[in-house]
Amino acid sequence: MKKQLLILPSIFFLLILSIFFYLLIIDRNPSELPSTLLNKNVPKFETESLLKNEKFISSQEFGNETTLVNFFATWCKPCRDEHAYIKRFSNEEGIKVIGINYKDNPKKAIQWLKKLGNPYSNVAVDKNGRIAIDWGVYGIPETFIVNSEGVIKYRHVGPVTKKIYKKINLIIGESK
Amino acid sequence: MMINKIILIKIFLIITVICLTQFFSNNSNAVEPDEILQDQKQELRARNISKNIRCMVCQNQSIDESNAPLAKDLRILIRNKIKKGNKDEDIYEFLTNRYGDFILLKPPFKLSTLALWLLPFTFFAVGVFIILFHNKKSKKI
Repeated sequence: MKKQLLILPSIFFLLILSIFFYLLIIDRNPSELPSTLLNKNVPKFETESLLKNEKFISSQEFGNETTLVNFFATWCKPCRDEHAYIKRFSNEEGIKVIGINYKDNPKKAIQWLKKLGNPYSNVAVDKNGRIAIDWGVYGIPETFIVNSEGVIKYRHVGPVTKKIYKKINLIIGESK
Repeated sequence: MMINKIILIKIFLIITVICLTQFFSNNSNAVEPDEILQDQKQELRARNISKNIRCMVCQNQSIDESNAPLAKDLRILIRNKIKKGNKDEDIYEFLTNRYGDFILLKPPFKLSTLALWLLPFTFFAVGVFIILFHNKKSKKI
């Protein structure tokens, strides 16, 4: 009886060890945080539009069709890296993409889009970062999927990579 | 031998002094002069809230200590809300609605965090039990 009890701690230790090992080898980013906005309605906001000479009103932009929302800025290097994928979403997949220009110089942003191509059907200007706070954004680039009912279905923090590109397409395909 | 002892004592004293200065210097905040509110009571409230709010960019600092732009934005936002007459609870609710419970440096006592709060006590109880159990056996021998 006593000898059997002595084995227990080592089993327990091995169990903990295997849990740690599992967390170590699975593909995960520990600094990535779950969004509390998932399955909630998009935040309402009104601001200027970067490219159009009218106001950007969120209630007019969301809730009609599945929309991708991409927070970007010209000073953000990863935003430039993911731009090719954002373009593919609108050009190849035909998904409506809304851009939110975060704490940026509007002139630079317009030039940036001219140079790299504009995948956005409309770009909202978030001059002081207040809109981003409502979306729970803490590091751009960030990308959200908003479904046709105006509900946030997915959030990705960081640049869109090949893997994330496929994942987003899969999620949008399922929701259609 | 004598020299070694003196060196050891010196090293010990240096380390103690370093530790003590770290302990007493509580000035590691990032609040900039232009952010500070005129009303001292309101400013104190803002500082207290800021100390409990995690900087989402650095994740192990409060927004009171962090120099990250988002931390500054949130500090200003908190102060604006205080000026508008919002209660502390309203401000915490506003932030957790957007960033989740993770933004609170101290996790709330909830059903989902029950294990987090209670496991240390459970382990302690198990430890006490094992020690008592072990002593009983050894006395018999």
